[in-house]
Amino acid sequence: MLLAGCGSQTDILHPAGPGASDVASLWWWMLGGCSFGLAFVTALLVAAYVRRRSMGPGREPGERAGWIVILTLGVGVMVAGLVTLFVVADIFVIRGTETPAAAAAGTKLTVRAVGHLWYWEFDYPGTPAVTADELHIPARTTVLVQVRSADVIHSFWVPELNRKMDAIPGQDNAVELYADHPGVFRGECNQYCGLQHAHMGFLVFADTPAAFRQWLARQSAPARATASPGERVFMQGPCSSCHAIRGTPANAHVGPDLTHIASRTTLGGVTIPNTPAELARWITSSQSIKPGNQMPNVALGGAKLRELVAYLETLK
Amino acid sequence: MATVELPSPERVSRLERQWRSKPGILGWLTTTDHKRIGILYFWTTLLFFGAGGTEAMFMRTQLVVPNNNVLGPAEYDQVFTMHGITMIFFFIIPMSTGAFGNYLVPLMIGARDMAFPRMNALSYWVFLASGLFLYIGFASKNGPNGAWFGFTPLTTKAYDPSLGGDFYALSLIFNGLASALTSANLIVTMLKLRAPGMSFNRMPTFCYAFLAASFGLLFALPALTADCIFLFLDRNIGTHFFDVSLGGSDLLWQHLFWFFGHPEVYILIVPAFGIATAIIPAFTQRKIVAYPLVAIAEILVVFIGFGVWAHHMFVTGIPTISLVFFAAATAMVVIPSAIQVFSWCSSLITGMPRFRTPLLFIAGFIFMFVNGGLTGLMFIAIPFDQQVHDTYFVIAHFHYIIFGAAVFPIFAGMYYWFPKLTGKLYFERPGQISFWIIFAGTNLLFFPMYIVGLLGMPRQIYTYPSGMGWDWYNAAETAGAYLTAIGILVLFGNLVLSRLRGAPAETDPWKAPTLEWATSSPPADYNFAVIPTVRSAYPLWDASDGATMVLDEGHQQPISSAVDARLGEIIDMPHSSAWPPVLALCLALLFTSLVLNKYAVAGGCVVLSGLVLIAWHWKAPASGQSWQWWGMAMVIASEATLMGCFIATFWYLRLRVPHWPPHGIPEPKVVVPLVLAGVLLVTSVPMHLAARAIKAGRGSAARAFLLAALIVQSGYFAFEVYDYRNQLETFAVTRNAYSSIYYVLLGADHAHVLVGMLLTAWLLSTMRKGAATGIAWYWHFVNVLTVLVIGTLTAVNVT
Repeated sequence: MLLAGCGSQTDILHPAGPGASDVASLWWWMLGGCSFGLAFVTALLVAAYVRRRSMGPGREPGERAGWIVILTLGVGVMVAGLVTLFVVADIFVIRGTETPAAAAAGTKLTVRAVGHLWYWEFDYPGTPAVTADELHIPARTTVLVQVRSADVIHSFWVPELNRKMDAIPGQDNAVELYADHPGVFRGECNQYCGLQHAHMGFLVFADTPAAFRQWLARQSAPARATASPGERVFMQGPCSSCHAIRGTPANAHVGPDLTHIASRTTLGGVTIPNTPAELARWITSSQSIKPGNQMPNVALGGAKLRELVAYLETLK
Repeated sequence: MATVELPSPERVSRLERQWRSKPGILGWLTTTDHKRIGILYFWTTLLFFGAGGTEAMFMRTQLVVPNNNVLGPAEYDQVFTMHGITMIFFFIIPMSTGAFGNYLVPLMIGARDMAFPRMNALSYWVFLASGLFLYIGFASKNGPNGAWFGFTPLTTKAYDPSLGGDFYALSLIFNGLASALTSANLIVTMLKLRAPGMSFNRMPTFCYAFLAASFGLLFALPALTADCIFLFLDRNIGTHFFDVSLGGSDLLWQHLFWFFGHPEVYILIVPAFGIATAIIPAFTQRKIVAYPLVAIAEILVVFIGFGVWAHHMFVTGIPTISLVFFAAATAMVVIPSAIQVFSWCSSLITGMPRFRTPLLFIAGFIFMFVNGGLTGLMFIAIPFDQQVHDTYFVIAHFHYIIFGAAVFPIFAGMYYWFPKLTGKLYFERPGQISFWIIFAGTNLLFFPMYIVGLLGMPRQIYTYPSGMGWDWYNAAETAGAYLTAIGILVLFGNLVLSRLRGAPAETDPWKAPTLEWATSSPPADYNFAVIPTVRSAYPLWDASDGATMVLDEGHQQPISSAVDARLGEIIDMPHSSAWPPVLALCLALLFTSLVLNKYAVAGGCVVLSGLVLIAWHWKAPASGQSWQWWGMAMVIASEATLMGCFIATFWYLRLRVPHWPPHGIPEPKVVVPLVLAGVLLVTSVPMHLAARAIKAGRGSAARAFLLAALIVQSGYFAFEVYDYRNQLETFAVTRNAYSSIYYVLLGADHAHVLVGMLLTAWLLSTMRKGAATGIAWYWHFVNVLTVLVIGTLTAVNVT
């Protein structure tokens, strides 16, 4: 519905980065081997079932044959298979998915992803840019994502780009992302984190390097004071007690930073599209869209709500 | 085929009088008969299976379409948490060890009851109370909602202000007590009560599986208990085990939880292996291929299972080198599993299989186990695990294992032993139909989960958006869930109908090889009129010389040597007793007062439980009970593991920080505590001498030794309690993680000293021969423990 058609799926087998790609190939090889194993055992069971009536009584072949089968297949073949899998996966493939202890020479950009109940906050160290639920990275560039938590354990995962990494309080974890081509990739929180774990998705926009630079410059700039009626509603109403808009007096950090909210495509952890009508609905009734989330339903209506939405829409 | 001459009718009726249970409800309340306790376990766990199954149906109904709202997020979270806890702790473990183990193990080894019949009853009543306790929490809208693995900090007070976390922690401790009692009992039963001649190389593979699972439970449960104690203290007392800001760690929870949680998975399925190895010979009329390999593999699965826990933590950011180690250990556990699979398959291929319902379920089990096992093997590939971790792929994998590999054999066993339990034959055709419906249903239910997992669907989400490509798979899964439910209803409907209308069953309808088929169906209260003598692992198939031991003089049972089962002394077994349910009730009051934070009442309940235990043991057993120190050995093993977890926690927290103790807390004294621990250690000498004197009948010497030990113990304890209180005034237990583990570890050690003193005092007043060795051993354990604990607490200065 919402994002159908923009390629925002979470298919592990539709990789768009080297890490995810290696894992996908590994999967197909494992699938082949394991299917063969399952088919073999199933064939044995079916054979036993089919032959059940043709067997004469009192036949009990020597233990020797049984031992040979068990030791050959159960130990010999299994050990060979396991060692192969272990070496391929845990010595070679792992190099593409693990994050080097020191940021590798190829790393061009570091971003920070902070899990909150229930949204992701992204910031770009060295710049004032802060966004929520939508991460922009340059395509074809190694990006180091420092994964942190502000409260409980979350897990940062962009299935089509690379493996996941838990966000654990007090712990500095990191994962590398690399997008083969520009595009939009869907990410999600993959560690159960309470009531709205289901609505803690995010989007990764892999932009061309030029578009990314432009985007980052725009996000780094503060909002311009407008003295519009909507801005007054924001500053005097309950909004400013939880949200920040850089460049204005609002600087609370309970909820997401809204400095450039109008530049986002979705709201509430990729739950609804960011249109003026949906934004208004989110303000007045987020509790029915995402029950239990930290933002209360705001009792605003009529002109005030329209003014507030109009103001927020200016925050590109 | 073994032939045993039946004793004369007078002797049989004397046996009947000796072993008969009390009539009516009172009989069930006070029973110590392992068969009755097994049946109580069976029905109770079935009720919980119904509850857990209903929860599963609610989940599948909620997920049938995207953006559904049959359940809101708060309800869904409680329901999936309860589903996991119920199926694991209140269905599969008690069904396999409590129901199957209890009912069948004594029959299979030719015993008349479990080693500790009253403790057996206690384990059931504790189990029942813990289940009711948890469900009272759920019914009062205080159900746990932090998933069955209860990760902190989500389950700490800050993020879960309801009582859900407390019900979680306390019910798992409570339930763990029941499981520990059952497993200790099964271990001692299998080691000491085997019929004469049933040496280890003749013990049925079924028993090897239950022995492995019982040892697994005994050593795994303490880690969960320790974890839940820390969680309860963090939530209610204000300690900081899981509080990062004050030196705690959330990975501490995960390490302890999975140290329990992964062996747990093998504990769930190893009894199922045992059931499979009991059914396959009966329905193929051939001995299982490579009996020694199978028996060893059953033990190895559980043993290796203790070294793989961190493969649940591959995405927590622990160093790659540790990941690789745990991946290699995980690879190793595949081998014993493969050995068993190929043994079962070889037996089926080379035997004369009769595919009646039990064997159909076993064939289905092999398919499901290999399916789930092969996808489990994929988690050895760390990068792949890191992709699919916590997605529906993992859900599919472990449901293939837990439903397919643990529950299918339970269903197989229900059909297989149905004639033995009821004396009736079940109806074959509906039985086979129930298998095919369940087989189709579970595959339709679980197989699409692999695919949605690969499509990135996370587990534990109460709803999902459309347009992710997940919709049809979820609809199919829900259809599979309903199909499975129908199959299960057919299965139980058939069993009920067969109970009412089935044809009478003979003693051994399947021509099976093991001893439970040598006695009547259903078995008499005394199990065997003549205690069997065993000469083979397949006693009913192979010739055996005549057994003659009737033991109709009392409520008696022979004891055998642990390894080669040479006949030892004859012991008197305890009769029915009302104390086990009373003690369980006291413990239920204890846990209820803890959840309500009424600590004074809780203290009262502890004292009350102690008094009940004294009443329980008031009457001395009639004859020699010197083998009973085996029971104490189990207690010590379990306690040592628990305290080992506490000590490991201390080092885990200590090694994460440079300064220890943290600034502002005085360094612990070294010399005085070590000297005192040394003085305490010396009391092992009089305890040892006292035990010897009691056994030799030298009463006055024993009293003198015990009194000497008790005086020194009391002096030590009094000083330590005084010192403990003084220290609490210097720095509070709620100060930080250091103070939390410091006081908990030291306090737990003092509690052990106190229990040791009470046991010594009890021994002094009763001079009970059978208890002397056990209590002396407990005291030696307490001494070693105290030295280790004091050593750990003072070793912070060593850098």
